[in-house]
Amino acid sequence: MLQTVLDTKPMNSLASARDAHLTAYRFMLLARVLDDRFAALWRAGRIHGGVFLSRGQEALSAAIGVSLKKGDVFAPLIRDAAGRLAFGESVLDAARTYLGSALGPMRGRDGNVHRGKPREGYLPMISHLGAMISVVNGILLARRFKNIPGTVGVASIGDGATSTGAFHEALNQAAIEKLPLVLVVADNQYAYSTPTSRQFACKDLTDKAVGYGVEAHSVDGTDLTACLKVVGNAIARAREGHGPQLVVATLLRLCGHGEHDDANYIDLKIKKSPVGRDCLKVAGDFLLRQKWADAASLKTLRDEVLHEVEEAVAQAQREPAPDPFVEEWRAISSRHLSETHEEV
Amino acid sequence: MSITYLEAIREAQAHALRDDPRVFIYGQDVGVFGGAFKATKNLAKEFPGRVLDAPISEDAIMGLAIGAAIEGMRPIIEMQFADFSTVGFNQIVNQAATLFWRTTVPCPITVRLPMGGTSGGGPFHSQCMETIYAHYPGLIVLTPATVEDAYSMLLEAVAIDDPVIFCEHKFLYYHLKAEKLPSEALPVGKARIAREGRDMTIVAYSAMVHEALEAAKELSPEGWEVEVVDLRSVKPLDTDTVMASVARTGRLLCVGEAWPWGGVTAEVIARVTSEGFGLLDVPPQRLNAKDTPVPYHPNLWTAHRPTAHAIADAARKLLRL
Amino acid sequence: MPQVPIIMPQLGESIAEANIINFLVKAGDTVEAGQDLLEVETNKASMTVSSPCRGRIEKFTVELNKSYAVGAVLGQIEVAKEEAARLGLEISAPARTGDAGHVSKPDANGGRSRVRPTVRGLPVPANAAGASYLSPRLKARMTELGLSAADLAGVAGSGAAGRVTIEDFEKFIANLEKQKVSQASPMRVAVADAMRRSWTRPLATVGLPAQLDALLAHRKASNPKPGPALYALRALAIALSENSAPAGRLVGNKIVHPSTIDVGVAVEAEDGVLVPVIRAADKKPLKELVPYYNELIELARARKLPPEATGGSIATVTNYGTFGLVWATPIPLPEQTLVLGMGAGRRMPHWDEAKGQFVPIMEGYLTLSFDHRVLDGGAAGRLLQRIVALMNKPEKL
Repeated sequence: MLQTVLDTKPMNSLASARDAHLTAYRFMLLARVLDDRFAALWRAGRIHGGVFLSRGQEALSAAIGVSLKKGDVFAPLIRDAAGRLAFGESVLDAARTYLGSALGPMRGRDGNVHRGKPREGYLPMISHLGAMISVVNGILLARRFKNIPGTVGVASIGDGATSTGAFHEALNQAAIEKLPLVLVVADNQYAYSTPTSRQFACKDLTDKAVGYGVEAHSVDGTDLTACLKVVGNAIARAREGHGPQLVVATLLRLCGHGEHDDANYIDLKIKKSPVGRDCLKVAGDFLLRQKWADAASLKTLRDEVLHEVEEAVAQAQREPAPDPFVEEWRAISSRHLSETHEEV
Repeated sequence: MSITYLEAIREAQAHALRDDPRVFIYGQDVGVFGGAFKATKNLAKEFPGRVLDAPISEDAIMGLAIGAAIEGMRPIIEMQFADFSTVGFNQIVNQAATLFWRTTVPCPITVRLPMGGTSGGGPFHSQCMETIYAHYPGLIVLTPATVEDAYSMLLEAVAIDDPVIFCEHKFLYYHLKAEKLPSEALPVGKARIAREGRDMTIVAYSAMVHEALEAAKELSPEGWEVEVVDLRSVKPLDTDTVMASVARTGRLLCVGEAWPWGGVTAEVIARVTSEGFGLLDVPPQRLNAKDTPVPYHPNLWTAHRPTAHAIADAARKLLRL
Repeated sequence: MPQVPIIMPQLGESIAEANIINFLVKAGDTVEAGQDLLEVETNKASMTVSSPCRGRIEKFTVELNKSYAVGAVLGQIEVAKEEAARLGLEISAPARTGDAGHVSKPDANGGRSRVRPTVRGLPVPANAAGASYLSPRLKARMTELGLSAADLAGVAGSGAAGRVTIEDFEKFIANLEKQKVSQASPMRVAVADAMRRSWTRPLATVGLPAQLDALLAHRKASNPKPGPALYALRALAIALSENSAPAGRLVGNKIVHPSTIDVGVAVEAEDGVLVPVIRAADKKPLKELVPYYNELIELARARKLPPEATGGSIATVTNYGTFGLVWATPIPLPEQTLVLGMGAGRRMPHWDEAKGQFVPIMEGYLTLSFDHRVLDGGAAGRLLQRIVALMNKPEKL
């Protein structure tokens, strides 16, 4: 069954490193299998709209999810399938949102990766990149007002979002307020079809940190071990009160921007370089080398995961779609202020 | 003892801070400085740590407010000028306005916009923004015209669980005074009959209510008694009160300081013509600012927006039809 | 075994169709859920279409190198009932427009919709200025009270260009209510409406004196006695059968010719007038028409006319002579061009050229009131002359 990560401690013992790796690996595999299933369902005409996969970014995302505690705040972005699951999202809710079930967290009002549960610290993204960072700031500030110590907020973005004004304003704001924000940038070399050479001119995205007065960390996003260590450390630093932490992970997007995109613009050289490694394979090989798993246990795990995904996907497809004739078409919570002019 | 429109706003904020620990104020220069218009004067001192200076980052200011609201706080955001809210527009309309609909989690933020023209304000310190915010589902848009409404409607805005765009008129800040603060008020969503009349209905909001009242005074000696309706809230818009007034008078003139295309005046007339067509004895009319950015020079500025005189002229045309 | 369709997916927001470039499986193959079935090409990229479930390919219904729309059915998969139920798949469903297949259709019984349209279908009248302009409010009030524009004839308008404002109207109504008011009967209201509509045309009248002695003698010698109007009706019918143009109706710039000579006769009935009709009045001689005519008059008076005896006449005869009137200008029915009127017969002196003196005759006026858009005085006069001539030979009617 799906595990929710509670009170993960930073990496300082071999036993917990093993657990962290196995836990994270399971979420990575779950994310990959679920993604593949979504892609197939989309190609079968069963998913309406866009499908956005996380292939290649599972290690970084899972590392975020397993390193956060219950009560923390996470604003995932497009390629955080693994991190969402690790933070506590159910496979069923992910499937429901993609498959348009009225019982999903967004109830059909938003879809695919635009999902979350704000009251549980799991923020549903809006499409405008960079916009979620200041929202995380707001929650962290509110915790401060309410004298609730020890919260960390992670906002996940890509290399593209670092160009937005929202990114700039929010990071600056977090730095001024010395908020426990960890901004994780998944530099996957492309923003849709735009290579990073057209996205920023600084040599390394971590160069920006000094401009904002925040600490920076670099990590090889294809290496689960490195991700667990660096992300875990950044989260710890934020929790200890050192202010916002900028984490820049280098990896490659191993899929199109969306499934409607065949990504034939990706430079083959990058694909063939170490940046283009598949983190799932790298992590699996590592588990085998460490003897934390063997071929049989990996197969068993894979079968379990396949089964779990299959069940969730089947259930979501059986569930009803939203019915426009019974939906309450009201966008404000105050019923008495809802316009009666348009009787809908 | 008299109290200005601005002081009423400050009093309401003090009241909110005092009564509800979830309230805090965030905006540029609102702290020690007390705000560009002194709307938060002394509040940072009286409520330490709850009146915070923000950087010049309207997007992040709004995003922060939304996050805090998700977490249960009730932030009051002061935009220095309504005209600058466009930098935070994305967060307001795409995040705050959609949060409840997407997630069932309400977003109880109040965004105070100093709006409307003052002589010499120019294109970027004079805009009326109620139209574009009212257009988006998920927002409540208030336009208090009186000192009393500035006070009670701001208190109600903070109490409402949804995002409220609170449009304060800069010109009224110090020009409008009242004897005292009210102890009771019409609720948000109800319009007020500012002046009763039988010959024509003028629907107005914010500063234009006062211009309309002046116009009514000008017409009275000519034998015309004009009814003035103060909308108070632009969204929700009290169609019933407007309709009942037009039922009495048969003539409708709608006045707004905003630009002509679309807008509150267009919305009111659309509603009255489609649902109350049989109430109209003459075609409904509207009066708005000229379809150009707000000019700086006082000569141009006074010609740009409706005045009492212009309203009376427009009214006469309808009354004589 | 139930079947599930293979649907062309929505392969990108703006994509409308895709080309089939390769079949990856064939009919009869067993496939797994998610297995790629065909390759397609859009103008952006090439993609694969995969299976929604586990099953057996029943058939493909598309061809290689042809283009099919998003949502089109590409083939059918035979699927086990349990598998279809497990995945909530609709069996042998018709092609949908590329959605996930869940959208519930509007209730077939209707009436479930809570979605109402914004526009409530109020008509927008053309703008009219001046005294004839009726504002929407005025029209609404008039409709409420059952009034028409003709009723406002007595109201002086104080509005621009003399229009009647709602205030003028309400004052008028208030004043009316101060006077003695009784309810108009439905008959009265119907006649009022007909006359108002008829009057919108330019009407004129021509008249000729007719010598009635021959007619009166013929009538005295007949049994049963034909009503005087029947003679006029037959004369009118015969005259129109010779030339039906005067009874044509002007509609726009066309004259609509009558197809049969159906002529009506006006009968006073309680508070109004009814017009029973003799069909094909030119075809039957007067003697044969008498019983039927008398019966119609009775029924009309009792207001018991059968539907087939009313409506559709092309002209009407009215004997206002029964009221003692010698001359009148009746108003034709709104759908007719002509009305032939008969005045009371009187003993009148007539100059006899042969005898060189005035001799007494029975004389009555015949008047023809007509829509002047269709006929002029000459044509009207000729028609009336012919009628008079026909009525001088009553035995031939």
